[in-house]
Amino acid sequence: MTDERHSDAAAERRARLAPADEERVLHAALGGLTDGIRARLDRHAAEPLDWVALIDELRRRGGSLGMSEQTGEVDDFGFDAGWVRRSRPFFDLLAERWFRLEARGLANVPDGPVLFVANRGGLLPWDGLMISHGLERRLGEAARPRFLVADWLITLPFAQPALARLGGVRACQENAERLLRTGRSVVAFPEGVKGAAKVYADRYRLQRFGRGGAVRLALETGCPVVPVAVVGADDAHPVLFKIETLARSVGLPFVPVTPTFPWLGPLGAIPLPARWTLEFGEPLDLDPADHDELAVLQANETLRRRIQSMLDAELRARAQAPTPPGS
Amino acid sequence: MSAADPPESESPRPTPADPPPSGVTAITGLRTFLGRRLAERLVPHGPVLGLDLHGPQGLPPSVELHEIDLTRPDAATGLVDVLAKRDVQTVVHLAFRRRPTADLEADHELDVLGTVHLLGACAAAGIRRLVVGSTTMVYGARADNPNHLRESHPLRGHPHAHAVQNRVEVEELVARFATERPGTVVTVLRPCWIVGPTYRDPIVDYLARPWVPVLLGYDPLLQLVHEDDCLHAFERAAREQHPGAFNVVAPGVLPLSALIRGAGQRVLQVPPAWIHRLRAFPSQAQSGDRPEGFYDYLRYLWVADGEKGFRAFGPPSYDTREAWMSFVSARRMRRYL
Repeated sequence: MTDERHSDAAAERRARLAPADEERVLHAALGGLTDGIRARLDRHAAEPLDWVALIDELRRRGGSLGMSEQTGEVDDFGFDAGWVRRSRPFFDLLAERWFRLEARGLANVPDGPVLFVANRGGLLPWDGLMISHGLERRLGEAARPRFLVADWLITLPFAQPALARLGGVRACQENAERLLRTGRSVVAFPEGVKGAAKVYADRYRLQRFGRGGAVRLALETGCPVVPVAVVGADDAHPVLFKIETLARSVGLPFVPVTPTFPWLGPLGAIPLPARWTLEFGEPLDLDPADHDELAVLQANETLRRRIQSMLDAELRARAQAPTPPGS
Repeated sequence: MSAADPPESESPRPTPADPPPSGVTAITGLRTFLGRRLAERLVPHGPVLGLDLHGPQGLPPSVELHEIDLTRPDAATGLVDVLAKRDVQTVVHLAFRRRPTADLEADHELDVLGTVHLLGACAAAGIRRLVVGSTTMVYGARADNPNHLRESHPLRGHPHAHAVQNRVEVEELVARFATERPGTVVTVLRPCWIVGPTYRDPIVDYLARPWVPVLLGYDPLLQLVHEDDCLHAFERAAREQHPGAFNVVAPGVLPLSALIRGAGQRVLQVPPAWIHRLRAFPSQAQSGDRPEGFYDYLRYLWVADGEKGFRAFGPPSYDTREAWMSFVSARRMRRYL
């Protein structure tokens, strides 16, 4: 009894004394700094001290305590590889623990720049982020695609800087073409805002597929088109109904009402822990000679039907399968 | 690019003797930074005429100055006299307001009517080559811009930035002039924001503040061009044949916050609704424009694609980061001098 109480008190004391995160970072940095200085002094004990190098080192270390360690080196679309690397633990947690992400058919993804065409779901672009993250984790950093984001989302405050750094690019023909021509894969969502704005009753029903922009793009750049079926995005933000009158005044295409939004305020942006499956289908057969309007529209429809059937198969499998443990 | 220039679209010319003698060059707006420095660069290659209200200090003595007020109704006749008498072959038009003022009329008089008078005089004097300085801001900062604006993109300007709107009007006038007079090689150069050790304008003043106000929740990608690269493009355009419009930009983009932090300054995040109260925004400081006229350029993308310019004038020697660093280090040095 006394032992137990004693150990409790000890644990409490330990908890009280344990430095907070920032403090630990500070201690580590300062430790590294003193080590660095000591090493320099030892090594150059006989020689005069290299003050310039020491001061540079001090400034570098001092800078790394704050935000100035961000060198901010970005590529021509604002993609920040350093930021992506630093945020990887968060996305690992989100993908593996929260969404229990499963990726199938990765063997269908060819090397080189690929145009992925996926169904859109949910207001926030979690689907684009999960496809990028999943491909990066399973096929390596070079395979990380950029995902196209609708205008209203890429210019939303706070979303804009984060999305650009994570590889989001405004959805337009010029951008996608430039990315593919410079050897970077692209995820396109031809449904656009119509896909994001589906209510829960219409989940996983593909909306109209634009005017065949994706197919035309693939024909022009000669890149393979890989259909992707995303199951889970529509469940992460189930839109119960939409308020369209309010939307125009706040500059959104619609204001969604989900089980958590707007009731919980900004917390409503947190996705529900739906189980996610990404299925990569076989690349679409496109005849580069077929450039006429009808062929493009037919290929577009084939693509749409292919994704819809992949979605249906996955949903059927889910309905029949026993609930996996932990969901 | 049209059929007029295949011979010199690639590779810089090897010898100074190679380009055809450019004849007499006239520069309007000699007092501006670009005008003065361009005159210095062009003097070794031929006679240079400066046209401005009055001349700047410390010009090379060989620059011949003609005091002309472009806004006067009779400016065109005076200009024709000068251009014809001295047999001017090339005109570089740089007489634009660099600091927009609250006097919208006067700004419009100088930028647009000044251009009208100059174009009329050029047509009458039959000059060979016209180079007009513009800016990539004429594309307008819009939510629906692609990430890399090509020269063919429509010039949409910004309804609340009168200086930019004036430049859009100037571009329209120049484009009409170019189609009406196919005998004249018309080059429009659109530099993005210019920085460098010596260049100063309201944008540089804004970027150089110790606390730089930015829009809360936005971190736009910006591109900057070094003053020397910009001058190089103007010099090549004034001495060679490059018909058409060109973006004069540097490779690479940086988020605004990275620029500011890289210079050791602080970012001051301001909610858009409070921007109106801030005097720090250059368009606010001196002109009657609504602040959106400037801060939309800190919100939306308006990065231009420089490929066409790189092919015509050679790749710039500074990328965006290096251009910015050259400005920052020059400012640091100045503190100790």
